[in-house]
Order: sequence, then C-alpha cells, then structure tokens
Amino acid sequence: MGANVFTKSLWDQRRGLLGWGIGVAATILAMAAIWPSFSDADINAVLENYPSELLEAFNVQGMNTGAGFLNAELFSVVLPVMFIVYAVGRGSRLVAGEEEAGTLEMILTMPIPRSRVLVHKAGGLVVGVGVLGLVLAVTLAIVSPIFGMDVTLRAAGFAALTQWFIGCEFGLLAVAVAAATGRRSLAVGVPAAIAAASYVAFLAAQLVDALQWLRWISPFHAATTGGPLGPALPWLVWTMPAVGVVAVAAAAPVFSRRDIPG
Amino acid sequence: MTDVAISTIGLAKHYGDLVALDGVDLEVPAGVVFGFLGPNGAGKSTLIRLLVGLLQPTSGSAQVLGHDIVSDRLALHRDIGYLPGDFVADKHLTAGAYLDHLARLRGGVDSAETQSLIERFGLRTDKVFGSLSHGNRQKVGLVQAFMHRPPLVLLDEPTQGLDPLMQREFIDVVRDYRDAGNTVFLSSHVLSEVQALADRVAIVRDGRLVMNAGVDELRAAARHHVEVTLEDRSDRAVAALEGLESVREVRNVGGTTSFTVEGSMADVLERMAPLSVERFVSAEVDLADLFLSYYGDES
Repeated sequence: MGANVFTKSLWDQRRGLLGWGIGVAATILAMAAIWPSFSDADINAVLENYPSELLEAFNVQGMNTGAGFLNAELFSVVLPVMFIVYAVGRGSRLVAGEEEAGTLEMILTMPIPRSRVLVHKAGGLVVGVGVLGLVLAVTLAIVSPIFGMDVTLRAAGFAALTQWFIGCEFGLLAVAVAAATGRRSLAVGVPAAIAAASYVAFLAAQLVDALQWLRWISPFHAATTGGPLGPALPWLVWTMPAVGVVAVAAAAPVFSRRDIPG
Repeated sequence: MTDVAISTIGLAKHYGDLVALDGVDLEVPAGVVFGFLGPNGAGKSTLIRLLVGLLQPTSGSAQVLGHDIVSDRLALHRDIGYLPGDFVADKHLTAGAYLDHLARLRGGVDSAETQSLIERFGLRTDKVFGSLSHGNRQKVGLVQAFMHRPPLVLLDEPTQGLDPLMQREFIDVVRDYRDAGNTVFLSSHVLSEVQALADRVAIVRDGRLVMNAGVDELRAAARHHVEVTLEDRSDRAVAALEGLESVREVRNVGGTTSFTVEGSMADVLERMAPLSVERFVSAEVDLADLFLSYYGDES
C-alpha cells in the first residue's frame, strides 16, 4: 500500500479514481451513442441560422465529424470541468484535508524533508489525474469504431493529454494553496475561482474582438485550441502543467517553514 | 550520546498578541523520564510541537539530542518518537497497515520490536482505525512512537483514554525504556500520573516555567484536601490538628472537619488515629488550584 508518500497518495485516490473513471467513461459512451442519430440529421443546415460568434465560442463548427461533435459536446466544457473538479478535490485533500484531519503531522515528523513530502503528493496527484486521462483515451479508442466516429488514436491521445494537463494545472494549484495555507477551503476555493474566471475570459475572448488577448491567459483556450481531438498538439497545452509546477515550486519553501497547528 | 537530551534557551512562541510560550529555558538530562506538567492551555503542547519541529519558534532556540529544531529537523526526526496530543491515523486503514506505512516511511524499523509493543498494549491490528475506541487509537499512537526505539520519545498527554490496566502497562513500557538508557519526555495535566512515572518534573503555567524539580520535591509540595467526620460528630479533630505546620485552613461545619495538608500526611494520620474516625476523605488538590495557591501572587 504505502512504501512512500507517493504510493500512499495514489492508494488514497483508488476509490475516487474508480468512481471518476466510471463517470468519465460513461459520459463519453453516452455522448458517443447519440452520434449516429445526430450525424444523420443535416446539422449544417441548422447551424447556419446561428450567429458565427456563438458557433466559434462553443466550438460548434465542424460538428459534422465525430471528432468535431465530441469537441463541441464534451471537450469544450464537460470533460475539462470533470478533470478540474477531480484534480482540485484530490489535490486539496492530499495536503490540506490531511492536515485538517490531523494525519499530516505524523508524516511531517518522519525523517523525510517536507519538500519531498510535497513533491510525492503532487506526483501522486499528477499520476492519479493521468489515470483518468488514460481511461478517457481508452474509452475513446473503444467507442469510436463502435459508433463510427472516425476518431484517430492519435487524436484521442492528444485529447486525453490535454485533459490531463488542464487537470494538473488546477490540481497542482490546489496542492500549492493547500501547502502554503493548510486550509482546504482555500485550496478548493482559489483554483475554483481561477477556473471560473478563466472560463469567462475564454468566452469573452471568443465573443468580443477587443478582448481576444484574454485567450492567451485562459487555460480553457489552451485546452481547446487543438480541438483537442485534432491532428496536432499545440505548444500552448504545455503551459498548463508548467503553471501548476511553478505554483507548487513557489509553495514548497513556505510549506517547509510554516507552522503545522495541532 | 550527549548528557543533555533537550535544552531550550528563551524559547518562545507567539500568535500575534497571544503568547503561547514565553521564553522557556529548560534542560532535560538524558536517561530520565521527564514530566511536563501544567493545566490545559498552559503551553505544554506548544512546547512539544516546537521540539518536534512542527512549529517555528518566534524567538529563542532549542536543541534536541544535539540537533537544532529549526536547521537540523531531518536528523531530529530520525532520532525521536512522537505522540501528538490528538493522535489520528487514516480512518480507512487498519492499525496494522498504518503502523506498517509509518515503519516504511521511517525505514529500519525492527518488526519484532513493533510486534512486541503491539502485544504489550494488547492492540488489535486487524481493525480499521476509524472503528477503534479512543483508548485503542491511543495504543496505535504509542506503538508508533516507540517502535523504532529512538533515544528520545516525546509524548503529549500519553495516557488519555487508556484504561487503568493499560496505564499500568504504559508505565512499565516507559520504565523499561528509560532503564535501557533512553529519555522520555511526557506532558500531563494530572499530577499523580507524573508523580508515578517521572524522575524530574517541570511545571508550566501561562506559557512560563514555574517549577523544575525532582519528583520528590514535588511530592513534598503536593497538597491534599481532607475531610474528617468523627463518630460522635464533635469538633475534637480541630483541636487534635493544632500545632501541625503542614495543616491549614481548618474548618468545622456540621460535624465535619475540613483542612488542607501540605506534603506528608503522616502527622495528620497519627493525630486522627485515636479519635474514632467514621469517615476520612483525602483528595489531591487540583493542579490548577495548586498553581493558584502557589503562584497566584506572581500573575
């Protein structure tokens, strides 16, 4: 079970991963099952009546392909939010949740540097969210041929990587806030507020030309600009885990020095 | 191994305006059981949490087994065992799995030692922590504090929740441990518990050390509140106690004589013996009251 803090962090996520893995797979399956009847309808005729800004904002152009359909229906909001919620929930629990429950102080009196404890926990979260990404990729690979969606393995891999990355960004942010403050409410609230603000910024950038620059600071732009079900992985996706890693690195010295109240 | 297990110089912890610990100078010799005594909220846990590196001192410094508590925390953690005042393990893990987890994090723990402690405390290791009673949880905490046989164990209110039989076993474990040349630092708010166990005692009140003495000196200073009722309900006890320096606050109300005794009870019992005593009740003066009577004028 727990040879070190990293494996223990993974072990702690086993139930959550099972539940969320089923949730992610079921969501994809449900949406894919709609595809055959959706693709029969003449969607382009319907979409012509919508303003082009809206079509762009919700990534609706290209809904006449299986990948385009999933990009619009799942990857623009539903799946990123699922990955963020899982990652923030677990990330805050791994450090602040344990601290508030009183189990962290025992670990912090073991002969292990606090920075290593933090890295192990962050690593456990990253791998945990990665497992969820793997479930996503495998589910896509299975349902795509069944429902004739023509999603390539390559595109499924890129999409899974992108969801993994957006989960890592906000999950590691939660780990960082938890490590710096020890408070679970903040560790959930701060990343959640940033996620909500960056989604608003993303929408604003899509709808208002003058605000287009906002897209560059929104992880939702980074997470959707390549599709994410698409033939290539844009460089922008790498900014997401990078922001998370920087946040944890910044929190590490604070975590090493701060009081662990009883 | 140094002769001094713990030494603090002007160790202080403030939380804003609140002074939890106010410049404590303390030296704990190696190889003793050291009792750290004080009412709840006096600063006992704050000192222990500073000594195990969970809190950062506001000012002052401390060395534990020669390791600075701020700059040498890793070596410090290798050499100590620690039982928090409110010990909690993962509630979904069995006691055995949790102990195994901590042992792996530490490394180099002899499983035979752990097993022997588990047997001494009669701990069921197959139950999940969340389902254990408070006493059994405390046993898990005690086992993990001792299992790697560290030269120094710091225990914050270790006997909380233990039944009397287990308290006795705990005392035996601590004594064996001390006899093997190790040091035990434990806090308590119960005077009699510390008296039964400790070689030396420090008393803390409002974040300050007010006494640091051998346990014999403390026993001499202990006070008891006594009530004596004679068969004939007379106040002859009052006269019998006259002239005893250790007796104070003598009163007779409704045929019962009450008074306080400082130190030994021997003289009192000698005077009472011929009086056909029907009822004799002696209670140790509450620690907080003891502090108030001793140090009330200082605060």
